[in-house]
Amino acid sequence: MKLESVRVEQFKQFRKPFLLNGLSNGINVISGPNEAGKSTLVRAIRAAFFERHRSKSAEDLRPWGDSSAAPAIELVFHHNGQNWQLNKSFLQRKRCDLSIQGTTYSGEEAEEKLAQLLGYQFPKKGASKEEHWGIPGLLWVEQGSGQNIEQAVVHAGDHLQSALNSLVSEVASEGGDGLIHTVRQQLGELLTAGGAPRGEYKQLLADELPGQQELDVLKGRIDQYQNQVDRLAKVAREFHKIDREQPWIKVRQALAEAQECYRHIESLQGQQQTLNQALISVQQRAALLQRNKQQVQADGKQLQQREQEHNTAQQALNDVQASAAGLHAALEQCQSQYRDALEVERQAGLLETRQRLDHSSVRAKTQLQQLSERKSRAVELQQALGESRMLTARHQISIAAVDQLRTTQRQLDDTRLRSQAIATRIEWQLEAGQQIELGQDTLPHQGEQLLLSSTRLRIAGVGEFTITPGGDDLARCQRQLEQLQLGLGEQLMTLGVADLAAAEQTLVAQERAQADVHRLLELLQSLVPGGLASLDSDSQALNAELERNYAEKKALAPATTLAQGLPAQAQAQDLRSNAENRLSAAEKRSSEHEKALLAASHRYQNADHEWRTLRTSLNSEQRQQEVIQLDSDLTAVEQEQARQQERLTEMLAQIAAARPELVQQDIQRLGASADQLEQAQRGRELELKELRARLEIWGAEGLEGQRGRCQAELEQNRRRCQQLQRRAEALELLLELLTEKRQALTQRLQAPLQRHLNHYVTVLFPDAQLEVDSQLLPGRFTRNGETGQMAELSFGAREQMGLISRLAYADLLKEAGKPTLIILDDSLVHSDSGRLDSMKRILFDAAQRHQILLFTCHPDNWLDMGSETINLEALKARALL
Amino acid sequence: MPRFLHTADWQIGRYFNRFDTDNSSALADARYGAIERLAQLAVEHNCDAVLVAGDVFDAQAVSDRCIRRTFNATSGFKGPWVMLPGNHDAALAESVWTRARRINAVPNNVHLALQSGVIELPQQKIAVLAAPLTQRHTYDDLTAPFDSISTPPQWLRVGLAHGSVQGVLAEDIDATNPIAADRSASAALDYLALGDWHGLKQINERTWYSGTPEPERFRNNQPGFALLVTVSEPGALPEVEALETARYHWHQWQEKLVVETDIDELLKRLDELPESSVLDLKLEGSITLADEQRLADALSRAEARYRSVTYDRSRLLLAPTEEDLAGLQASGYVGDVLEQLQTRQSGAEAQTARDALAILANLLLEAREEKHP
Repeated sequence: MKLESVRVEQFKQFRKPFLLNGLSNGINVISGPNEAGKSTLVRAIRAAFFERHRSKSAEDLRPWGDSSAAPAIELVFHHNGQNWQLNKSFLQRKRCDLSIQGTTYSGEEAEEKLAQLLGYQFPKKGASKEEHWGIPGLLWVEQGSGQNIEQAVVHAGDHLQSALNSLVSEVASEGGDGLIHTVRQQLGELLTAGGAPRGEYKQLLADELPGQQELDVLKGRIDQYQNQVDRLAKVAREFHKIDREQPWIKVRQALAEAQECYRHIESLQGQQQTLNQALISVQQRAALLQRNKQQVQADGKQLQQREQEHNTAQQALNDVQASAAGLHAALEQCQSQYRDALEVERQAGLLETRQRLDHSSVRAKTQLQQLSERKSRAVELQQALGESRMLTARHQISIAAVDQLRTTQRQLDDTRLRSQAIATRIEWQLEAGQQIELGQDTLPHQGEQLLLSSTRLRIAGVGEFTITPGGDDLARCQRQLEQLQLGLGEQLMTLGVADLAAAEQTLVAQERAQADVHRLLELLQSLVPGGLASLDSDSQALNAELERNYAEKKALAPATTLAQGLPAQAQAQDLRSNAENRLSAAEKRSSEHEKALLAASHRYQNADHEWRTLRTSLNSEQRQQEVIQLDSDLTAVEQEQARQQERLTEMLAQIAAARPELVQQDIQRLGASADQLEQAQRGRELELKELRARLEIWGAEGLEGQRGRCQAELEQNRRRCQQLQRRAEALELLLELLTEKRQALTQRLQAPLQRHLNHYVTVLFPDAQLEVDSQLLPGRFTRNGETGQMAELSFGAREQMGLISRLAYADLLKEAGKPTLIILDDSLVHSDSGRLDSMKRILFDAAQRHQILLFTCHPDNWLDMGSETINLEALKARALL
Repeated sequence: MPRFLHTADWQIGRYFNRFDTDNSSALADARYGAIERLAQLAVEHNCDAVLVAGDVFDAQAVSDRCIRRTFNATSGFKGPWVMLPGNHDAALAESVWTRARRINAVPNNVHLALQSGVIELPQQKIAVLAAPLTQRHTYDDLTAPFDSISTPPQWLRVGLAHGSVQGVLAEDIDATNPIAADRSASAALDYLALGDWHGLKQINERTWYSGTPEPERFRNNQPGFALLVTVSEPGALPEVEALETARYHWHQWQEKLVVETDIDELLKRLDELPESSVLDLKLEGSITLADEQRLADALSRAEARYRSVTYDRSRLLLAPTEEDLAGLQASGYVGDVLEQLQTRQSGAEAQTARDALAILANLLLEAREEKHP
């Protein structure tokens, strides 16, 4: 197919007629800046083919604001050696005319011819959309959609398929895909995508287990029911047999016999009881007599004991009485010793008092002497103190005043020195005989003088000079000097001294006198702390003491009356204390003996009385007879006891021989047996009732009927299940075969496409491979050993691959004799220069077989395509001319 | 002239698992209908009594409704009925019989022979020597005591038993509940009425199996009859007449379709059956698509018309002809698949292949219908 020219009028921006002609066979680069009308031309070609001339949705074709326009397109092209011309106008003038080699078609017929030729569809209503575009959708690439090839291939599917079918010898199935779809859908009703049962099939399978379980439960219950029926038969048989035999009657008879036997044993046991009691009473009497006898024997022993006690007491009394004389003598000796020691102690005390008084008198006399000496010394000191105090009073002067004086003196001296320094000095040396008077004074012939104030100098025969010393300072100094001299005079007068030296002297004398007063005061204080008066009172006290001692000594007995060699008072006290202790001990012993004697005497009297009383009682006549009677009674009772014992033993032997415990066990055993037999029978009766009642209930349920129904349902379910399974298997097989065959066919279709694809891909990437999948889509991409899907490539690479794929499809269509026109609107703008070069080679190669219209706004990129670039701007300009 | 009706094996309460619910309950209901017809026949033929030789009930634990319906169905004949427990309804300690009595379902004119011994029908002068099963299975000949049982003189002496006559029935029949073949002679019976074998069968001049009055399986051994027995006087040979009682007729056909006319023949027969038929069809051979369509139509018609139609086509191959294939318009790879399935019908998964082929053919036909309505 070769497009010769495109002519538009009243079409979008082309309000005036515009003609694009002179298109060549191979590649045609049509350039122009943005808005120059490239896309409008592409739209015009698309509208000419895709939009029905009657379409109401062609509004966008109208020039802006021109509601009366009738957008018109005229296309001229060659195909299969025939000339085709299409004239189509929209909106205000809806027309479509197609002339093929002179034959004219119009309206829808013309449109269908075109659709058939190029392989696309018209929409049922509304604007034409991507899904209607078919093969042109694949080969006419819109701006910016070159990479999206999947949808384009899908939309082109049927047209491609039928176009390609002619290439392979096999005839593809008509409606085969629909069939596969139906089979898959029907299978999907039975099985999930994973092959698991679903829907009714799944439900049936799920129901089988509960159904089977219900059936099993029913079967179990029926078994149970039948077992119970068998049990009923067995129990009923046993019941009737036992009911006839009544085995417990015989057992009850044996029981009655055993009970009779036991009653006999019980009467024997009663007799034994009586015997037992009689024996016990005899034994009790014997024991009583025995106790009496023991009492008699005890009485005898007691008499002996009392006699012995009587003797012992008498002996003890005698012993105590014997020791009385010794104790008395010892007491008297102790008393005499004590009195002696007491006298010695008194005399020793007197002696010691006398000696103490003598000592005291001596000491007092000595102290009196000392006091007198101290008094005379103190008087001397007192005198000296008086003198010193006098001296102090005489040299009284203030230290502060002296200090003041010193300061004034110093200031005066300083001022004087200063006045002399600034005073006017007059030195002179008079010639002999000359006389000068200065002030009132006549000056010697040689000397110097300082002038402090205006002074008149009169030189005899010469005249008078008044010399006035200059400056304020001298005058002020002079005033100060006068003030200070005045102050000094006042201070000296106050102090009563002639000058500063006298004042200083007076101050030294005052300080020395004060030190003496201080020292004397301290001496006096140490000598008589209490003052002189205290010394007098001390001597009075000592004299009083001496008088008291004297009087006391006089009162004492004279020394001659005292014994010679007296011990010291302390020793005498010790001796007296020892004697006193000894006396106390002797007194205590004597008193204790006194008490012992009294007790022994008491004991003896008691023992004697008891012994005598008992002896009288035991030896009485009545008592002797009682003892004899007791012995005879005792003998009789012991005989009776032996007799009773014998009878009892005999009775016990008789009872033991009858084996009461065995008889009792018999009674128990037989009684229990009879009860058990009857109870077992009652149990059977009860079980029969229960079994009948239970079976009655169970029977009413119609268990076997239920089982029949349940089984029927289960089997029906299973049959249905099998049918569904068979159907699922059949559908699976069918689907498998259909897809398998389709696959094989697709593979045969893939081969030529793959071949063309490889042709281009290797130009771009020498070692790469782009595989065609079962949907005839470019899919797996392999490069440098790495594999991925085309969709995973970069945008630029995908655009290049998309274009390559489209070219491959075009080659395939060409081989199938289909028209191929390739339109690229600003393609490959995302390619780098290296890739773009490769793509140019590819495009140039494709252009050898197909007409390619390449619209671009970058004409510089496409200068090397071996063809003249058609400049839209230039064309438009020419059209205006 | 004493005359009675001999029947057996009513099998009330049986379920028919192989059929769908609808047919199953109709067939179960038909068994009550059979009792009503027996009563009617007894009246029509002036019978003195109806003797039922065991297996009145199919199971012990049937519902109360079953029991009542059974006895209600006898109401048409007011004369005595003697019912004997068989192996399915043995007279156990607790049985369908004790229950029937407990719920007061047994009419006065129905005698239950629950114990071995004689049931006397004085009015009819018939002594029925009964050998009921009191256990589910027994290995003793329960009719042995008949030899020593005496009955009033000048009364008819009729034995009633349920079991297998020794050495007469097929080997595979259960060997339990044996009955001596010469019992009628040894016990001097006028007639021995037997049950257990579901088909009509004569053992000797005086010994018969009546079979079940209403067929319940496809085994073709003459089910669906009752025996009208007339004995002119005690000791005389009985006159036995088979009366048909079946409501439904069970047919099982095994057909091999080889030549074209086979299918025509089959379809003709299929159309000619009486409406009360229960049909089971097993097909083998091969069939063209066109004939397959005819067969399907015929079966569909039969299903609507007859009581029950079941069929097994799993061994019938689909053999589409050139015409068939052209008609299917299976082009391209679909045609391939069709061909492959056709050959696979005789392979390992023949069944699946056959089903798949049928599905495919149907889909293609539907597609064709859509295209060219």
